Amino acid sequence: MLEFKPSAPLTLGVELEMQIVDRLDWDLTRGASDLLALVARRPHPGDIKPEITESMIEVSTGIHRAHGTLVTELRAIRDVLVAAADRLNLGICGGGTHPFQHWSDRQIFDTPRFRYVSELYGYLAKQFTVFGQHIHVGCADGDEALRQLHALGRFIPHFIALSAASPYSQGADTSFDSSRLNAVFAFPLSGRAPFLLSWREFDAYFERMRGYGIVESMKDFYWDIRPKPEYGTIEIRVCDTPLTVERAAALAAYAQMLCRWLAAERPFPLTEDLYLVYNYNRFQACRFGLAGNVIDPATRSERPIRDDILATLEALAPHAAGLDARDAHRRVLAWASEGASDARWLRELYQESHSLPELVRRQVERFRGA
Amino acid sequence: MHELFFLPEWPPRPGGVAWIAVMLVLAVAAGEAASRWLRLPRIIGYVGAGVALGPQGVGFVDRAALGELRLFLDVALGIVLYELGSRVDLAWLRRNPWLAATSLAESAFAFGAVLALLLVLEVAAPVAAVVAAIAAGTSPAVVTTIARELRARGQVTDRLLLLTALDSVYVFLAVAMLYAWVGLEYRGDWMAMALHPAYLIAGSLALAAAGAALVAVARRMLPPRSDADVVIALAAIVLTVAFADALDLPVVLALLALGALARSFDRDRAVPPATFGPVEALAVVVLFAFTGAMLEFQVAPLAAVAGLGIVAARALGKAIGVFAFARPSGLALRKASLLAVALTPMSGLALVMAEQAAVAYPELAPGLALTLLAAIAILEIMGPLATRFALSRAGEARAQ
Repeated sequence: MLEFKPSAPLTLGVELEMQIVDRLDWDLTRGASDLLALVARRPHPGDIKPEITESMIEVSTGIHRAHGTLVTELRAIRDVLVAAADRLNLGICGGGTHPFQHWSDRQIFDTPRFRYVSELYGYLAKQFTVFGQHIHVGCADGDEALRQLHALGRFIPHFIALSAASPYSQGADTSFDSSRLNAVFAFPLSGRAPFLLSWREFDAYFERMRGYGIVESMKDFYWDIRPKPEYGTIEIRVCDTPLTVERAAALAAYAQMLCRWLAAERPFPLTEDLYLVYNYNRFQACRFGLAGNVIDPATRSERPIRDDILATLEALAPHAAGLDARDAHRRVLAWASEGASDARWLRELYQESHSLPELVRRQVERFRGA
Repeated sequence: MHELFFLPEWPPRPGGVAWIAVMLVLAVAAGEAASRWLRLPRIIGYVGAGVALGPQGVGFVDRAALGELRLFLDVALGIVLYELGSRVDLAWLRRNPWLAATSLAESAFAFGAVLALLLVLEVAAPVAAVVAAIAAGTSPAVVTTIARELRARGQVTDRLLLLTALDSVYVFLAVAMLYAWVGLEYRGDWMAMALHPAYLIAGSLALAAAGAALVAVARRMLPPRSDADVVIALAAIVLTVAFADALDLPVVLALLALGALARSFDRDRAVPPATFGPVEALAVVVLFAFTGAMLEFQVAPLAAVAGLGIVAARALGKAIGVFAFARPSGLALRKASLLAVALTPMSGLALVMAEQAAVAYPELAPGLALTLLAAIAILEIMGPLATRFALSRAGEARAQ
């Protein structure tokens, strides 16, 4: 029995997978265990954990009710991480991919689970050296979580386009704004959760999948949004790690506003038809970012993602006020109306310098927030 | 009977270049054999070939021939130092001052430990000081070659390269000053004593800056990542070696600074540090094969014991220095111990310095030969193994 542990609705938590790079050639380097050993010496905000390779580290925040405290904690965690990295001559940066690392150079972090994943997926596990942001939103019960999950599916392109920060991969321009999600697609259990709206049914589904031996835990599903029953949250997993913690916090607040609006107003009926346009919209967001087109499953009209975001923001305005998230609302509004994404920033920078290492150097500088 | 005037004299006597080629081929073969069948670092094979062909072995290469090759060797060493310089980030010392403390401590303690041992063994103080100073250094060639062979990356590797570059600089400054002191050239003139290191440091840096500026200007005229980058860097190395020699400046400091400055002048293009590729492979073979040929194994048993003593004292000093500041500098103790092990290789440069000393100050020669050469011979074999062991154990090797 998969028990959904209730949590306070609309509470927030963020996880960020960060890149660890060499400060001389700006390639990914080994440093996770040294960095962890160093930050573990004294108490620090948030949680800092190893990830699948030595070139990646995951930070996570505590539980927040509002955008303001979330951004404060993220900044504090960042400062701890940056200070430790400075002592070890490492660079820490955001971005969904490292622009020129070669996948065969990666080493897998030595824990039983990571060894298992590595053995099962072979080169996919190493190619999976991509860096994402996960946003947790608290839900009162399992049924509510599933409702929120499937309603949020409609807005997945927003999260992809607003966070997109992986235009370069393996040394080349991929032409995608978020190439990271293509690496996720390769996994057999990626995609979306089955359209089930009651926790009892979902539990039965999970038990059947476990019965087949396909999964052992919820962790084996690589869905775009998945329930996290032990936290009592739903987890949005499509975002690239943004280049700044401010964007990461604003994205989380955007999710929070959406959930409040969806729960309060139920603006559209939940049917499986919502998913007919899902893969098309998702591709548009990955490929073209804010300039991509999405089809609204309700009205069947097609419009640019940035316009869809602006229209949504209008509906969210009262909820931004209710959640004390007007600052985040303003930020998202500015990004959508200017078409300002991290992917575009990276591409413009490359036009100037024509150097991918230089790009990483600037990413590191940008993450410091200096 | 025709006069076959075109036939050469028999047997033919090829010029000096031919035996260099033979030596290189044999060294490469020995390196591959060492790597494939004995699973040893290749450079041990190169050194072995040098020993076998040198005066200690079949005598194929003699001292005179080694003397002729001085410039060739200097350029090979220059390439290694330039690359080490370009991989060292001095800004790290600013971000983590405890690393500077580690660097000073590991050199000073190694110097102190060896000096104390030699004084106990009743070696004359000036000789003891010179030997201890030479022994305090770590081999740039061994360390960079092993790190590259393993494609190593991580804290132990990065710190090893930084500490090696810095202790090489200290050693050259210390030795230059000690020679002047032993030669009584200061004559109690405190001004001269203060200005001497100032000249050595400022002169080397100025020379390096000129060379690096040359590289930067030339590169700006070339398309990015041009093949000519290597040619220009080599030209700058040769010029730096030549002028350092002519100006009595420490070549090691000048070349390390050249590598570091060439890199930082290139900031706006932010290309990865120049790698010499096959040229560097050649430089490494040359360096180690000739080091092997210069090694001295026929030392008295007493000297061998003293040599072992130096090895042990040096290792102890370095370990204390590294451990003393491991924690504040942010290194776990396990990695600190691996770093101390990785610092084992003693510089083949010590050989050159010992020979120079023997020539310049004949009164030092017997003492030097007695103790230092044995230590060098021991460490030339043990050093590469220790470094490889340490970097692999630290989990920083990507290639085996």
